[in-house]
Amino acid sequence: MLDRELKKGSAELLILSLVEEQPRHGYDIGNLIERRSDGVLRFNVASLYPLLYRLEKRGWIEGRWVEKAGQRRRRYYRLTAAGKKVLAAQRSSWREFVEAISRITGIEHA
Amino acid sequence: MPDWKKEIGGRLSRLGLPPTREAEIAEELAQHLDDRYEQSRQGGATKEEAYRAALLELTEGDLFARELGRVERPAGRDPIVPGAQRRTNLFRDLWQDLRYSLRTLVKNPGFTAVAVIALALGIGANSAIFSVVNTVLLRPLPYKDPDRLVMVWEDDTKGGYPRDTPAAANYVDWRAQNQVFEGMAAMADTSFNLTGAGDPERLEGKLVSADLFPLLGVEPQLGRAFLPEEDRPGGNRVVLLSHGLWQRRFGSDPKITGQPLTLNGESYTVVGVMPPHFRFPGEEAELWAPIAFTPEEAANRGRHYLKVLARMKQGVTLGQAQAEMSTIAARLQQQHPDQNKDLGAAVTSLHEYVAGDIRPALLVLLGAVGFVLLVACANVANLLLARAAARQKEIAIRVALGASRFRLIRQFLTESVLLAALGGVVGLLLSLWGVGLLQAFIPQSISQVKAVGVDGKVLVFTLLVSLLTGLIFGLAPATQASNFNLNETLKEGGRDSAAGSRGNRIRGLLVVAEVAVSLLLLIGAGLLINSFLRLRSVDPGFRTDNLLTMEVVLPETKYSEHAQRAAFYTDLLRRVEALPGVKSAAVTTNLPLYPQGNSISFSIEGRPDPATGRKPTVVTRVISPQYFSTMGIQFLQGRQLNEQDRADSPAVAVISETMARRFWPDGDPLGKRITPGRADSTDPNDWITIVGVAKDVRQFELNAEPKPQMYLSYEQAGFFEPNDLVVSTSVEPLSLASAVRKAVWEVDKDQPVSNVRTMEDILSGSIARQRFSMLLLGVFAGLALVLAAVGIYGVISYSVAQRTREIGLRMALGAQRSDVVKMVVGQGLKLVLIGVAFGLAAAFVLTRVMSSLLFGVSATDPVTFLVISLVLICVALLASFIPARNATKVDPMIALRAE
Repeated sequence: MLDRELKKGSAELLILSLVEEQPRHGYDIGNLIERRSDGVLRFNVASLYPLLYRLEKRGWIEGRWVEKAGQRRRRYYRLTAAGKKVLAAQRSSWREFVEAISRITGIEHA
Repeated sequence: MPDWKKEIGGRLSRLGLPPTREAEIAEELAQHLDDRYEQSRQGGATKEEAYRAALLELTEGDLFARELGRVERPAGRDPIVPGAQRRTNLFRDLWQDLRYSLRTLVKNPGFTAVAVIALALGIGANSAIFSVVNTVLLRPLPYKDPDRLVMVWEDDTKGGYPRDTPAAANYVDWRAQNQVFEGMAAMADTSFNLTGAGDPERLEGKLVSADLFPLLGVEPQLGRAFLPEEDRPGGNRVVLLSHGLWQRRFGSDPKITGQPLTLNGESYTVVGVMPPHFRFPGEEAELWAPIAFTPEEAANRGRHYLKVLARMKQGVTLGQAQAEMSTIAARLQQQHPDQNKDLGAAVTSLHEYVAGDIRPALLVLLGAVGFVLLVACANVANLLLARAAARQKEIAIRVALGASRFRLIRQFLTESVLLAALGGVVGLLLSLWGVGLLQAFIPQSISQVKAVGVDGKVLVFTLLVSLLTGLIFGLAPATQASNFNLNETLKEGGRDSAAGSRGNRIRGLLVVAEVAVSLLLLIGAGLLINSFLRLRSVDPGFRTDNLLTMEVVLPETKYSEHAQRAAFYTDLLRRVEALPGVKSAAVTTNLPLYPQGNSISFSIEGRPDPATGRKPTVVTRVISPQYFSTMGIQFLQGRQLNEQDRADSPAVAVISETMARRFWPDGDPLGKRITPGRADSTDPNDWITIVGVAKDVRQFELNAEPKPQMYLSYEQAGFFEPNDLVVSTSVEPLSLASAVRKAVWEVDKDQPVSNVRTMEDILSGSIARQRFSMLLLGVFAGLALVLAAVGIYGVISYSVAQRTREIGLRMALGAQRSDVVKMVVGQGLKLVLIGVAFGLAAAFVLTRVMSSLLFGVSATDPVTFLVISLVLICVALLASFIPARNATKVDPMIALRAE
């Protein structure tokens, strides 16, 4: 498991990326992070939701209660216009960061 | 599925989030845990394992709360809804209430303006009248310990003068014998002709005891007061100047003391100048000189002309002083049975002497403005009630959010007190303006008029009245608004009819009260107007049009001989009558409607004087022959005085019809002889023959019955000197003033002329007090009437608006317009008639307090009561007719569609 600090720094980027494709609810987001990282990255309720609320408060994502036939209502988060810009900026700085690390450590990224 | 909410709630509770937000978060997280649990179960975990796996999500609980706490706002910063909070903090709540109230008022500028104007009129009228009451009745007189100052009078109730001016000998005895007064001082009217540098000038003055000023506790601003030795014959050629005279005539010369002044042709020495605002109440004077009784004067009990001031010793009450003076007066009656028969002594506080005349009028007016304010309050309360009905939903929401009833009432009261405060501020501005107006109307005889103004006491009064007003008119709407049924309001879905019949009943009651109070005021005003008209229509016994009057007072020093004075008048009258525009001219000792004058006691030939007790007295005027024709006084019998009645011919008199009736009830007075001396006198020069009878004139006041009077010729009677010149003109009287003045100066270039007025001025001045009360009460009653009409209009309009559907339905079912008008006006009429009934009952009881202000009308005059009631009913009908006519314009289709 990655160090807590590293996880926190990258967590915003992960969430923003996931809701970019389509609106998702909290469990979905947590699940996708775990599955796509093959279990390396895991968020539990205690860390995921405060993060979601913070992003929402900053206006980067927006949560809405959505009701579907035969289901309980769920809160879906989608990327806002402001969120899109933040995501682009974070992506490029993350890329630069990873490339810099690679050049120094000689680790090739896949 | 497990209940996660308990686990989550426990962790969230510490954060104190707004309940709605907390619920939302709990719901979202619980779903997450559900999903996790579900997934574990599908992956083959037991219930127990799945539960623990899910709960694992909530570990790092501290972290969860901390992170969440950073993001989420705690509760308590929600938008403020007054009354929705449980915690109470008096001052913060008050501030909240104030801000909320201000917002509400600003949001309804029309309502606010109407309410503030109504209140400002009511409060302003109160402040203005109170500032007069404050100055005249409440403010202490500007002397040392004014509460101990009293006036002492001769009480000649039997002779018709319960407060008579004392004779010198009685004053001297009172002063020597009493134990209750620290000191006693006398004063007498006089006038001085000031000659020398500048125009000759006639100045009102007073002869005073040397101890008058120390008694008042007033010291001259410059120089000194009189010394005791100056108050003796021979030493009294000294004079004190008023501040005004010193400034006007002597240019505020600081070296004036010690300088000589020519007064009445004699030299006086100025010893001092009084302070700027010094005056003795009710007495105009520009000069004071010592009274210095001669031994003869100090023994005289027949000439009643003094005013006597006294200062009670510390601890002595008015009652004690009165008792002591009555004892002394009774003793003097025994010692001097001839002159002091039936003569008592009366002690009145100086304050009562000053304010006594106007006090009842001011108190009635103060009561009246209070009632005007009540009507204004009722109006504003009505407005608030109507608005409270429209605010039902707002109130319901606040109650639903937990506002207590107390809190709601407080909020409403804050609003009404704020309104009242605004009204108070505007009212104070109005009263500043009103006091200026009042000063023009207050009779000049009220000595402190010039000092009327708005001071701290008036400000406090206005503040208190405003607060009280706010509480009074705010209470009804507040209790009404807070005392409603939450369920019903919510069920009715916000329809305004929620105000319901109870609100209508209160509004109706308020209108009834307004009508009753207005009627009371109108009847009061009606009685005063009625009195005033009767007073104006009193026949004074002489004509008042085209008469020019002025005072020409001859100085005794220059005209010491009676023959000199007679010659002056003869010459003057000849010159004045020769002027173009003059029909005739005459002189007299006192014009009618003047509150003072000479009387003499007399005996009738052939009727022995009473063994004990005083002889009858008669008001005596010394005139020139043309007086009757100039004044237009009708003649009943005999002849007028004429030029043949000279100093060397037998003395003759004209008497008034009252004198004729009183003393010769069944005989002919013509040819009968009377004497101011003794009935057994054999000296033919003592006897006066009655040659004519003239109609009565009102000598002192229009509303006082004439007293017996006689007229003597100025050529024959040397003991009273004519002062007043009266000229009958064929042109506007005042246009001749300067020509007549010039005629005086042709006779004597040093002779001053003063007090140039028309007879109409004198007449209207004599009823200034009655006019003052009538005008003011009239204005206040009018104000109340307008406010009441607006109130009726408002209530009927409101009820028409509420009943739009009903009226539409009636018209759709065939009701005629006249039916609708009848229905609506009938509703108004019912309220008005109830109000009139209450108003009449109140007026019947309350107008009695003003009976001392009435003349010729009873306080329960049925005609006034009836006429005023009809007027009020007509106005009220009109006020309800307008909304009734609007009601007939209801289109049934539109009214029904609104359903």
